[in-house]
Amino acid sequence: MNCKNQTCFIIPEYVNKKIVEKGTKKQKEHAWKNLILTEQLRGRRLVTGLMSSMFSISNRLDRTIFDAQNTETLPGTLVRHEGGKAKGGKTVTEAYDYSGSTYTFFKDIFKRNSIDTRGMRLDSTVHYGEDYNNAFWNGTQMVYGDGDGEIFQRFTKSIDVIGHELSHGVTQYEAALEYEGQAGALNESFSDVFGSLVKQYSLKQRAEKADWLIGSGLFTSKVKGAALRSMKEPGTAYDDPTIGKDPQPNHMKYYVNTTSDNGGVHINSGIPNRAFYLTAMDLGGYAWEKAGKIWYIALTERLRERTNFQKAANVTYAIASNLYGEGSHEQKAVKSAWYQVGINIKAVK
Amino acid sequence: MIIRVEREGGIAGIPISNEMDSKDVPSDLLRAAKKIADGKKSSSPLKSLPKGAADHYTYKISVQDGGNRSVIECNQFNIGDDLRSLVKYVEKNSKQKKTN
Repeated sequence: MNCKNQTCFIIPEYVNKKIVEKGTKKQKEHAWKNLILTEQLRGRRLVTGLMSSMFSISNRLDRTIFDAQNTETLPGTLVRHEGGKAKGGKTVTEAYDYSGSTYTFFKDIFKRNSIDTRGMRLDSTVHYGEDYNNAFWNGTQMVYGDGDGEIFQRFTKSIDVIGHELSHGVTQYEAALEYEGQAGALNESFSDVFGSLVKQYSLKQRAEKADWLIGSGLFTSKVKGAALRSMKEPGTAYDDPTIGKDPQPNHMKYYVNTTSDNGGVHINSGIPNRAFYLTAMDLGGYAWEKAGKIWYIALTERLRERTNFQKAANVTYAIASNLYGEGSHEQKAVKSAWYQVGINIKAVK
Repeated sequence: MIIRVEREGGIAGIPISNEMDSKDVPSDLLRAAKKIADGKKSSSPLKSLPKGAADHYTYKISVQDGGNRSVIECNQFNIGDDLRSLVKYVEKNSKQKKTN
C-alpha cells in the first residue's frame, strides 16, 4: 500500500503513471481515473503534468520563426526552424537566439522543459503589423513588431523582452494568474523577473552587476528614457515629452487604483518587481540561484489565479523557510524586501 | 462627429489616445463609427481574449455626435475588421495625439 501524507492508495502512484504511459487503452483509462482521484485527494496540481505523459513529449529545444511581412496575420510565413540555416536578417536571428536563451535558462536552472513542461515548440512571429510598437503573447506564440522608428525600435532587440513574453507562457501553464488588478500585476512582474534573469544568466551576471531594466535599448535616441521599466527604481525608466513619465510605483502607498490597462497591470507591477530586486540584492550572487528559485516555486507550485500581493509575499516567505530554514538569512531577506515596498508579512500558513 | 480612439496595454503599458473629426475620415471607414453612434456595437473588452494572452492592446472607442456620446471597449483580438481599419486610420492620421 502506498501511503503519503496520511492518504493511502492501493496501487502506487508510479505504477499508475507507468500504466498511463504504456498500458492498453482500457488500462490507461483505469490508471488515469486512479491518478485523478489521487490528485483530488492530495489537492496537488500534478495531474496537468501527468496528462502530458499521455501525449508525445519532446526533450529538445524546438523553435520556429515566422515573418508576418508587416501584416497582422498570424503566424505568417515560416522563415526559420530549429537547426535550419540562419536567414531572414537580424530580427529573425534575435527572435531565434533569444527564445533559445530563454529555453536554456528555464531548462538549466529549473529543469523546466519549455513553456508547458512538455517541450512545447517556441513559435515566434516577427515583422508583425506596420510600425507596430509592441510585443505580445497571444496564448500560443510570441509576436514582435518592428517599432515605428520614432519611439520604438524593433522589439526583438531586447533579450529580456523575449524572456518576458515567453514567461507569460510559463505563467499561463502554471499559476494562470488573471490578467487583471493585483493578480495581473503579478503576472507582469513574474515576466519581468524571469525576463531579467534570462538576460542575467546569458551574461553570467551577478545581481549587483545587472541593470535590472526591462526593454533596455528599445527606445530610439529621440526618446528620453533608458527602458520600459526599472525593477531597481520603478518610476524612473523614462521621462519624455512625447510618451510621458514612467508611472510605476515603488511602494504600496503609491499603488495606482485605475481601470486602465486591466487595472494597471503594467503600472503596479513595479511594487513586486522591486521586492524581487531587493531580495536578490540582499542575497547577492547570481539572482537566479536563490531569489529566482523562490519566485519560480511560488509561480509553479503555490500561487493561483487570483493571488494578490500580500499572498505572493506570504508564499515567497514560506518558500524561503522551506528551502533555507526558518529564520534563515534568505527568509529575512524576503520579508525585508516586501516590507520595504509596503507589504508586511505577518502570519504565514 | 468626433471619433476618439484610446489604446491601453501593450508590453510598454503606455496609453495613447487619438482624435479625428469624421469629415477627415474616408466614408467607407465611417460605417463602423456610425454603428457605435447608433448603438449597434456593444462593448466586449474581455470577450474572445485567448487564454493566457498578455501584453495585448485594449481599446476604448468613442463617438461624439452633437450632445450624444457613445463608447465601446474591445481588445485587439475581437475588434473586428471594420473597427480595426478605422482605428488604424485614426491612429495614423490624427494630429491630436496624447499620452498619459
